[in-house]
Amino acid sequence: MKRIGIFIECKNGRLKDAVGGVVTAARCDGGELYALLLEDGGDDGRAALESWGVHTIVDIRGENGPLPYHPSRWAGALARTIRHFDLEALVGLSSLLGKNLLARVAAELDAPLVLDCTAIDAARHTAVKTLYSGKTRATLQTKGAVHLYGIRPNAVAPRSSPSRANRTAYSVALPDDPIRLREIQRSADSGVDLTEADTIIAGGRGMAGPEAFKLLEDCARPLGAAVGASRVAVDSGWVPHRMQVGQTGKTVTPKVYLAAGISGSVQHFAGMKTAGLVIAVNKDPKAAIIQKCDYFVVADLFDIIPALTEQLNKISSKAQAMR
Amino acid sequence: MNIFVCVKHVPDTAARIDVKARCRIDENITFIMNPYDENALEEAVRLKKVTPEATVIAVTVGGAAAQETLRAALAMGADEAVLLETRSPLDSIQTAGALAEAIRRRGPADIVFTGKAAIDSEGFQTMFRLAAHLGLPAASNVVSFGLNQERAVVTCEMEAGDREVLEMPLPCVIGAAKSLNQPSYPTLPAILKARKKEIHTTVLEALDLPAAAGHVACLDMTPVVDARTPVELKGTFEEIAMEIIHLLRREAKVLP
Amino acid sequence: MNKQYDAIIIGAGVIGCPIAYELTKMGRKTLNVDKLADAGEGSTAASCAIVRAHYSTEDGVAIAYEGFKYWLEWEKYLGYVKDEKGLAKYMNTGSILLKSQGHDWRKVQKHYDAVGVRYEEWDLNKIKEMVPVYDLHEFWPVKRPEDPEFFNEPTRFLEGALFCPEGGYMSDPALSAHNIMRAAEAKGAEFIFNAEVVEIRSRDNQVVGITLKDGTQIDAPIVVNVAGPHSYKINQMAAGVFEECNIKTKALRHEVMYCPSPEGYDYLKDGYHTSDGDIGCYYRPEVGNMFLIGSEDPECDPQEWVDPDLFYAAQLPYGRGNELTMEQWRAQTYRCARRVTGMQIPNQPRGVCDLYDCSDDWIPIYDKSAMKGFYMAIGSSGNQYKNAPVAGLMMAELIDACEKGLDHDKTPFPFKLPHLGRTIDTGFFSRNREINYDSSFSVNG
Repeated sequence: MKRIGIFIECKNGRLKDAVGGVVTAARCDGGELYALLLEDGGDDGRAALESWGVHTIVDIRGENGPLPYHPSRWAGALARTIRHFDLEALVGLSSLLGKNLLARVAAELDAPLVLDCTAIDAARHTAVKTLYSGKTRATLQTKGAVHLYGIRPNAVAPRSSPSRANRTAYSVALPDDPIRLREIQRSADSGVDLTEADTIIAGGRGMAGPEAFKLLEDCARPLGAAVGASRVAVDSGWVPHRMQVGQTGKTVTPKVYLAAGISGSVQHFAGMKTAGLVIAVNKDPKAAIIQKCDYFVVADLFDIIPALTEQLNKISSKAQAMR
Repeated sequence: MNIFVCVKHVPDTAARIDVKARCRIDENITFIMNPYDENALEEAVRLKKVTPEATVIAVTVGGAAAQETLRAALAMGADEAVLLETRSPLDSIQTAGALAEAIRRRGPADIVFTGKAAIDSEGFQTMFRLAAHLGLPAASNVVSFGLNQERAVVTCEMEAGDREVLEMPLPCVIGAAKSLNQPSYPTLPAILKARKKEIHTTVLEALDLPAAAGHVACLDMTPVVDARTPVELKGTFEEIAMEIIHLLRREAKVLP
Repeated sequence: MNKQYDAIIIGAGVIGCPIAYELTKMGRKTLNVDKLADAGEGSTAASCAIVRAHYSTEDGVAIAYEGFKYWLEWEKYLGYVKDEKGLAKYMNTGSILLKSQGHDWRKVQKHYDAVGVRYEEWDLNKIKEMVPVYDLHEFWPVKRPEDPEFFNEPTRFLEGALFCPEGGYMSDPALSAHNIMRAAEAKGAEFIFNAEVVEIRSRDNQVVGITLKDGTQIDAPIVVNVAGPHSYKINQMAAGVFEECNIKTKALRHEVMYCPSPEGYDYLKDGYHTSDGDIGCYYRPEVGNMFLIGSEDPECDPQEWVDPDLFYAAQLPYGRGNELTMEQWRAQTYRCARRVTGMQIPNQPRGVCDLYDCSDDWIPIYDKSAMKGFYMAIGSSGNQYKNAPVAGLMMAELIDACEKGLDHDKTPFPFKLPHLGRTIDTGFFSRNREINYDSSFSVNG
């Protein structure tokens, strides 16, 4: 039996949305899944873990109760948990938190790690990920006593595999840590850098002025997207140059590029041509971008973008309501 | 004070990536210093400017061509440059082991800066392995750095704009994020000076480092083809919005 | 029944659009066909769009100076047409021609005097006053950074400069072509895109029309080749045309760099377009307070002649393909940094790599051909953007004269520049000329 650990990320007392996909990715023949929690995921969380096939739920805590979040102490706790339960793998979410923790654990155990996987085979110890800013796809194999993988959020759809899980607690005694967590600063603004954003919504001539960019920001918020612009919007003084995508602006490599009211000149395209999915919204059916995109809508962005925002907010508030 | 900066020679983001023999790419393209390493180097140089008797040492593991990136580091303000030369592709575990050895030999390290990840391998882990080898605390995705009486105070970017402020003693390892600073690029005189500096080169295999227990091997690599066949979305505004969300979820997978 | 037009113009770039505009104004029904998605998306989009008057021939200077009037009064030229994409803007920075061994500036000055181009002579102090960031040493001859002599300490100074208060660049060359298209459409011209010409049909050595890749046949007794870097391929489609030309055209690869302006220097606000033959570069401001640095193709730089289809399909290797090279990035930025004190050079190349449609002597071909009704406006060699409106008028009048019976080869059409009143002997642009050794053999024209 392969004992596979899964680090379960929580938020506000509930499992994070993408966790189901991680558990699903970790499942394999002969695999015994250990869900490792450093926070309480609630009864709903435990039920969900069972629905995805977890066999053991481990509540990791410190000597005096739950371990408050601390990057290296949490990593240390996970490393000790792996050793204690003799786990041969640790699978987590390739979120910012997950990447941080998994890398620290891998370093401590001197074990191989592949992050941002779009698929893994925990039995064969293989993982698929993209390299070179999405230009190639590689199949990697990990060799060692313990294997670590970070699953790209939402890359694997959760699939049910009902089981019953034992629940056990594990107390770790951690040594003093030289890192002191002084504070956590919460911010409403996601502040994603254009060149690092997974999703970009960009506006062009069709925006007709600076005010309309607020519509894009409203849409970007529920998506965690960055807002960009074509040269026209910058030349017209509607938005600052740092938002410009294109030859005389920034080159971006997002998974999604939503172009609103952008005609799609060759200069603009040079800045975003490696985007994964290009969706164009433009009133003009002859706009150049319509030849160069994956999906297009011939409609007014002032109709489509607010409609999209409304639906995105509905989904997000539905998710909130379920908490 | 010895300020180390680990840099990597990587393909330009704009470069065409052609897959050659199994898992190798055609390297007859433009290579540059890994952009996050530029931020790391900039922060190191800024620290040096306010620290008496500080030396910035740029280190890299790579082929002979990596000298170009070391020259760029020297031009940007590094005082010394070290190349551990190898023709073999290395995984993160091997790279970290090599960097640690280079730092030990030139050391001792008072602080190590490096980019949070390399834009080619996108592993996000080498700096933590390096820190473990050297027995040092580490923090990554650093967007602000300050030194307060031999203690580093860093702000690290977390999910959704949240940030954590960490404090750790020197020596430590800092993983630079893009918004840590705006790199200051060299003028021609600085570039000229850098050309004349010596790059200290050692063949990696000659160091005879112990083989690591764990390893990541590439089995196969294929190009991601981006041919687009435009498809029109039709319907009411609400239907189109739902369709877009469906695409974001199912195809792009940026939504749960 | 095939669709019928008075004239088909192959190419809707910055030369093809004004030809349509002028022919339409003269009463002909025109159709432009372009294989790309919109006007100006080909080599026009990569043009530096410099507007300047210095050329190596007097006629060249005259035509360029005539062209100024159109750029300066852009809305008027366009017939006050509305373009939903807005109008391209002429940025009058003024133009500095540094007196160097890289330019026969004395010849240029003679031409300025003959044509009446307004200019001032600046000595070193004047240049220093107007552009404090320029280091006015002489760095000639032009070298590459790989050459150890590149970094030699300079010992001499330049002699000064010729400054034209009129001169600068157009903010968005692709948009300017689009503007002219809209102006032409307002007069009745038609344009189709994503339309690739695969055949030029003729009968008894008279052109009858074209065939598109999708099989569509369109007829016209006049067909004009304005296909830019693809011009030689189009000429090869018209029986006997390519072979009969004494001057041929080929596609030449070129790289243009964008480098940030030195700290504290607002190039966009305070700077000038500069022709710097001493370092083999020309430069002008670009959006984002950058220096756009073009090359004057000095002898020490490699020249890559390429197949345009392979180039645009990204099927050529490093150094011949459509990506910037580190070597040329360094060559052009380091050269400019010798002149512009304090210029900081990023590690990552940034700019544009595209093609010139180059003639054997870098002078364009504006001419008829061996086939009746088939004309060509090609070989712009990286130096004709500024002449586009004039070239449009000249070609329209030349075509009109030829169609009305003029034997242009025997008695070249005399083209009168409307504003300057000067007459140009269009035989200068003949496809049958001998190589013109007066030419600068560069983008300087």
